[in-house]
Amino acid sequence: MSILLDADTRAVVQGMTGRIGRVQTKWMLEYGTNIVAGVTPGRGGEEVLGVPVYDDVVEAVEKHGANASVIFAPAPYAKAAVFEALEAGIKLVVAVPEHVPVADAMEMREKAKTFGAWLLGPTTPGVISPGIGKLGIMPANMFAPGNVGVISRSGTLSYEVAGQLKEAGFGQSTVVGIGGDPVIGVDLQDILEAFEADPDTQAVVIVGEIGGAIEEEAAPFIRQMRKPVVAYIAGRSAPPGRRMGHAGAIVVRGIGTVESKTEALLEAGAIMANWVSEIPALVRRAI
Amino acid sequence: MRFLEYQGKELFRSAGIPVPPGRVATTPEESEKTARELGGPVVIKAQVPIGGRGKAGGISLAETAGEAAQAAARLLGSILRGYPVKEVLVEKRVEMDQELYLGVTIDAKSGKRVFMACQQGGIEIEEIVSRYPHQLHTIELYPSQKLYEHQARTLFRRAGYRGKVLTRLADVAVKLFNLSVRYDLKTCEINPLGLTAEDNVIAADAKVEMDDNALYRHPQFRDLVVEELDPLEREARGIGVTYVRLDGEVGVVSSGAGLGMTTMDLLADVGLRPANFLETGGGITKDLMANAIRLVAKHEQVNSIIINLYGGVNPMIEAAHGIREAKRSLPENMPIVAKVLGNQQEEAWRLLDEAGVVMVKSPRTEDAVEVLKELLGGRRHEHLA
Repeated sequence: MSILLDADTRAVVQGMTGRIGRVQTKWMLEYGTNIVAGVTPGRGGEEVLGVPVYDDVVEAVEKHGANASVIFAPAPYAKAAVFEALEAGIKLVVAVPEHVPVADAMEMREKAKTFGAWLLGPTTPGVISPGIGKLGIMPANMFAPGNVGVISRSGTLSYEVAGQLKEAGFGQSTVVGIGGDPVIGVDLQDILEAFEADPDTQAVVIVGEIGGAIEEEAAPFIRQMRKPVVAYIAGRSAPPGRRMGHAGAIVVRGIGTVESKTEALLEAGAIMANWVSEIPALVRRAI
Repeated sequence: MRFLEYQGKELFRSAGIPVPPGRVATTPEESEKTARELGGPVVIKAQVPIGGRGKAGGISLAETAGEAAQAAARLLGSILRGYPVKEVLVEKRVEMDQELYLGVTIDAKSGKRVFMACQQGGIEIEEIVSRYPHQLHTIELYPSQKLYEHQARTLFRRAGYRGKVLTRLADVAVKLFNLSVRYDLKTCEINPLGLTAEDNVIAADAKVEMDDNALYRHPQFRDLVVEELDPLEREARGIGVTYVRLDGEVGVVSSGAGLGMTTMDLLADVGLRPANFLETGGGITKDLMANAIRLVAKHEQVNSIIINLYGGVNPMIEAAHGIREAKRSLPENMPIVAKVLGNQQEEAWRLLDEAGVVMVKSPRTEDAVEVLKELLGGRRHEHLA
């Protein structure tokens, strides 16, 4: 088992005919992901890598029962693509684009909540359930099937964590990139709840970073969880007031520091890793 | 992108929010001329993108045009918290009976826009929140909602306002909120908003910050980009990477924000200081990678470089070609360690190996940091010998 992406996932790729969409579709297919269709306006009727392309998401839903979508569109078109997927009834939308205006992210989030759908991103590497499939850009070789759930705000860092877990003999049930932007589609707690309910997840790793307060806000739920939670927060050496790449990664006057997050998470009973390399041993002890 | 005060006030003026008469000046002579035209007491304000300018000594009062020239001469060319003062705003001084705070910002967690008002203005919002939490009134709205005049009217009526002032405050509130939506503003504050003896409202200051990611929707502001960036940070924008200048010696090149921060943290842990934060995002090409490395090497203190990349969306073969190209233009003896993993890793390793690039093939960034430290130690040794 896994969360979000499982054996019943039938995915559509919005923007499949673009340069990045095509390469990533190839890698998702090679990984065994069930990609049923691509969508590019004006390219309906074509085929890419043996996958049919449609003009709109609704057609992909009607013909293939698509229930998930991964979006490779330039940032200015991301909002429209997310809206299209949601209105077509898609319940898992992965918004890969970076540099999406925050106002657009706010609209995406509101609409996803209204439609009761999962929205990962913007600025997400996507979601991978090792051995089942991946929707997004994660490099498959860093992951292995197993029982650790991983939630990350950062793509690259989730690869590093998964790679080290894999080396130590721990595979992952699902690795979820929630997105590096200040406003994202899901709350950390939503994903934690899913992992808590997933019979194949034995422990959860939160890969956080400075800025915002999502880790703090999830603390009350973490306190209630039966499964162990191991957490790591990147950015302790970052100077305050400077934005560290992710628009969300900025410490503003003492809010969003490694210390405030660590305190809240420890208080909630999470096991804190000072470094990524401590995570495998802490997971081993916790399980 | 943070607007300078006068740029923010131009935005206010265009929206019909009253601002004091005034003009921006770049010389004492211009300042004197403007002060004379305005007549009466003026205020001279340094145009730099920082808060707390008063405390930093960036605001002067002048009774006469001559005094205005002197104040401008003092401010122009000075440095305020690292920002050179190139312009001053010369404004007619407004007598305010009361100073309020009005602002619109984004609450990241809920994804809502928040209108905020407080009777205690002229101090920063963080201080308002801690000192006068009960006098801070807010209206939170989803993006699908708008701020109506009646909502603002209720807010200010509850805060104790009546009559003309009440309707003027509500009017400014709606205009400010609409500006924030229309121009993709992350922050939009009038602090203080002055109330005059004649029951007029006037925006005495403007703090406006636009969402950089939305700049493409507002091309008219492209050239107005404040000189808030370090030259290397500005060059990074041109290359298409995010660069933050720091005060250390190790150049950092990473393909993602979280990985970049972790690399910095690990360097600091072993006593190596990062010279910068750099992340490429998902747009790596050969040229981008080569340019990013050369950019990092331009920092005058850099003595070594650590490159930490994952091939997710990024093509590592392109990255490897870029690293090879950059290496050719760097000093022969500058230690460089590359950790390149993910998609296409084997081919990338082969290319880097050929070029003699020191590599780490484990997913532990500390291994790369350790190798770099050894290389640096060895080099110091050579110098001693």
